[in-house]
This record gives sequence, C-alpha cells and structure tokens, in this order.
Amino acid sequence: MVRYGLVIDLKRCTGCFGCVIACKAEHQTPPKVFWAKVLRSESGKYPVVNRQPLPVLCMHCKEPACKDVCPTGATKQREDGIVVVDNKLCVGCRYCVVACPYGARYFVEKWKDYFTGKDQPSSKYAEYAKKKWLAENDRGVVTKCNFCSERLEKDLKPACVEACPAEARTFGDLDDPESEASRLIKKRRGFRLKEELGTDPCVYYLPSR
Amino acid sequence: MPEVQNREMMCAPRLQQEWGFGGRRKIRDGALLIALFLGGIGAGQFVVSTWIFNYPLSALIGLLFVAVGKSAAHLIYLGRPTRFFRLFLKPRTSWISRGLIFMVILIIFGGGYLAPLYGFDWLPWTTEDLLGKLILAVALMAAFIVMIYDGFVLASCKSISSWHTMLLPVMFFAYAIAGGVAMTAITFIFDSDASLSVESIVSLDLVLLAAMGALVAFYIINLASSDITAKESLRRLLFSRTAFFFIGLSILAGLMIPLALTAMHQMESEGAIASLLLGISAVLELAGDISIRHSILKAGLHAPVF
Repeated sequence: MVRYGLVIDLKRCTGCFGCVIACKAEHQTPPKVFWAKVLRSESGKYPVVNRQPLPVLCMHCKEPACKDVCPTGATKQREDGIVVVDNKLCVGCRYCVVACPYGARYFVEKWKDYFTGKDQPSSKYAEYAKKKWLAENDRGVVTKCNFCSERLEKDLKPACVEACPAEARTFGDLDDPESEASRLIKKRRGFRLKEELGTDPCVYYLPSR
Repeated sequence: MPEVQNREMMCAPRLQQEWGFGGRRKIRDGALLIALFLGGIGAGQFVVSTWIFNYPLSALIGLLFVAVGKSAAHLIYLGRPTRFFRLFLKPRTSWISRGLIFMVILIIFGGGYLAPLYGFDWLPWTTEDLLGKLILAVALMAAFIVMIYDGFVLASCKSISSWHTMLLPVMFFAYAIAGGVAMTAITFIFDSDASLSVESIVSLDLVLLAAMGALVAFYIINLASSDITAKESLRRLLFSRTAFFFIGLSILAGLMIPLALTAMHQMESEGAIASLLLGISAVLELAGDISIRHSILKAGLHAPVF
C-alpha cells in the first residue's frame, strides 16, 4: 500500500517562501492561513549565529493526534496515509487545532479579501480566489494541507514540491524502499519533528550539515 | 528561552489562540470558557444540592446552568452550530464527545429526578423511592464526568506542556465542587424558605478552599519542574498580563480572601453580617473559578516544533 510522505532537505532550502506562495496560489487560502509555511530558526550568539529556515506543513502523521480528538469524525486518514478534513462534517470546535503539535491546522470563520480584509472580493482575481476557496472548503470549519490530493489524482506532485526552486522537496511513497524519498531518508539519516509525541509523522527532514 | 511566538513564521513556543477570550475571534472564543465554567459550577451545584444538602431548588438551578447556559455557550462558540449533533459521534476517542454525552445524561436524569417536585407528580417515581434514587445515581455519575471531562480535554493535548498533566481534571473537579457549594450558598441567601445548615456549608467550603490551594500549589510546582515550554507558561501565569487573573483573581480574590471570610464566618455565624460574609465569599470563589480556567487557557503554549 502507498504511504505518501515528503522529504525536505534543509541543506538545500534557502527559505525563499516559494512553497508558501505556491500553496497559496494552488488553494487560494485566505489571509493568515498557511497550509505550508517556513519558520525562521536562529541559534548561537554573535558572531557565530546559525539561521535555518524550517519549512513546515501538515505532517500527515500515521498516528495523528488531530484524528483521535475530533469528536465528529471529520478528520480522516485515507488509505494512502493522507490526513484530510471533511468540511461537511466539521463543526469548528477546534480541538484538532489545539491538539496538533505542528500548528498545521487553521480555523477559517469566513473568507476575507487579502487587501480589504472584508468578505467582499475587491478584484476579479479575489473573486476567483473566493469562489475556489468556498468550492473546496467551507465557512466556520478547520482546514489544512491535503498534500494537494487533487493534483495527485492527476499524477502531479504537490504544488510546493513542484515550485521549490532549490529542489529541496522530494515527494514519494515511504513504504517503497526503492523510492527516491525512502532512499534519501536512509542515505542522509532523515529525522522527523517531535517524534517523541508518538505521532509517527510522514514528513522527514534531511539535516543541513 | 526564545521569545513567545506572536507571529506565524518564527520557530518558538506558540500561544494557543483557539480557546478562551482574546483568541482568534476575540470575544466569541470566550464562550468556550463560559461553557467550561457554567458546566463545572452547574454540575457541582447539582451534586452538592442533591447529595449533601437535599436542596431541590438549588439542584434545579445547577441543572439549568448546564442545560441552558453551558449548551448555549457551546453553540455560540462553534464555527458551525447547526451541526452540533455531530459532537456526540466519537466517544471512543474524543473527550469532547464523552463530556457532551454525559452532559445530556445529566440533563435527562437530573431533570427526571427533580421532575416530581416541580409539577410532574404523576411520574411513577418520587425523589425518595428506589427508582428515584437510581435515577439520581445515574445523574450524579454523569455530573461527575461533566465536572472533570474538560480537564481531560486539556490534558489530552500532548504538545501543550502546561495542560498535559493529570492535575487538571483533579483541579477542575475541586473547583467545580467548590463552585457548586458557592452557588448553593448564594441560592440559600436569596431563598427565605430554605432550611440549610450554614455550618456544614462553611465547613465544606473551608475544606475545599484548602484543597484548591494545595492543588494550585502542586500545579505551579509541576510547571516549574517541567520542560522549558511549561516554565514559559508559568512565567506567563506569574509575570504577564495573565498574572492579574491568576494571582489577583484566582489566588488572592478566589482563595485567600474567601478563606479569611469563611474563618470570620466561624466567629460571626448569626444574622445579616454572616449572610453577607457568606455571600461575598461565594461570589469571590466563583470569580476565582472562572479566572483560573481563563488563566490556564491563556497560558497554554505549544512547544516549538524544532
């Protein structure tokens, strides 16, 4: 069985936010909603300071904390491992947002225009954005990254993977030991975020050095 | 310790902004705090009034807090209130489902137990017979779950260190019972027909105040000896704007002053002054109850992801 996962090479990532913009363009997420984001991490003291961009998205955990706490069953795990929110079942209680250790979930009360902050689109593009968002999502529910499942159905890679100019992202089947993703994890000793919580995330990071 | 994340794009402890006043939806998110508070004191009042004091009017008021107040607050909070019935669907894994199912059981069985006293005397049970006692037993068990489930809801969030402790259900239980005693005392003050032993209310209150004080102290020690995110939560409780609620309202107004007033009540246990002392103490305890829940919610910090 396929188990989709993502490998992010921190050595290659330049923190250009290309993945963030690609995700925004693909899903037309409203302001303050980032299904894919790049966190800034700084360590050390002047003059020896290390600045590391850390791309973060839904980890599509094998044991997702968000799925267990959901009282409605709106958060589901597909057979290919992708964790999705059924926006027809979600009531917007936000237990999953609080339970997710990765900050990958967003509650969207209503669509807002990027420039005016109001729920009326201010341009033709905003009109398109609103239409697309409301067709794929809903008001008053929780939303999150779905590994661009609509693109996967067309045999395309997720938008963030496709857009990364440094080719820092590798998408693939983690259950297939021959896949590029599995090979990179093994070769470069991939690690995962907050493994101690037992969520078994499907997003791996390759160390920057 | 890195600065608490107040913007999305920093790798630092992240404030939970979903539950409680001042969240993403400012006022409306506070409805959840009100729901937790009303659920706690309502269930507590029902338990205290039926099990300890045999005071049906107070039990009915407690039940109304749960049935009307808590339910309405939950509906106000939800993003899609028309789908509220879906909240009951996953009791095997979700504490929200469990709590709400037991809330409905409390309303049905608690209402059923009190019904013969309030015009439904044609029902085949009374509050004194075996069937009535069985109905009460189910209602009390449900009330117990309603008092503690919100503690388990918070404790189940592994990434928020200041919540991920079994002290929270115990604390919420103690505060719910104390809130129930305070509400019973307030009802008693305004109900001229009631005949309750004020001494037993005061004695119970003293024990509960001491227990709550000890639990708050344990909670602080627990945070201080936990990981770096829990320590940051403790710093927020003690030194940020939340300190006004935690130290000022929860500890000073909600514990210390009621303790002193209750002790004074032991000396002046007759007449209007005694009622005044009891009333002030009860109101302050309720203020302490809601503010400690608020403080705990506001101090909730997600550990940094990296």
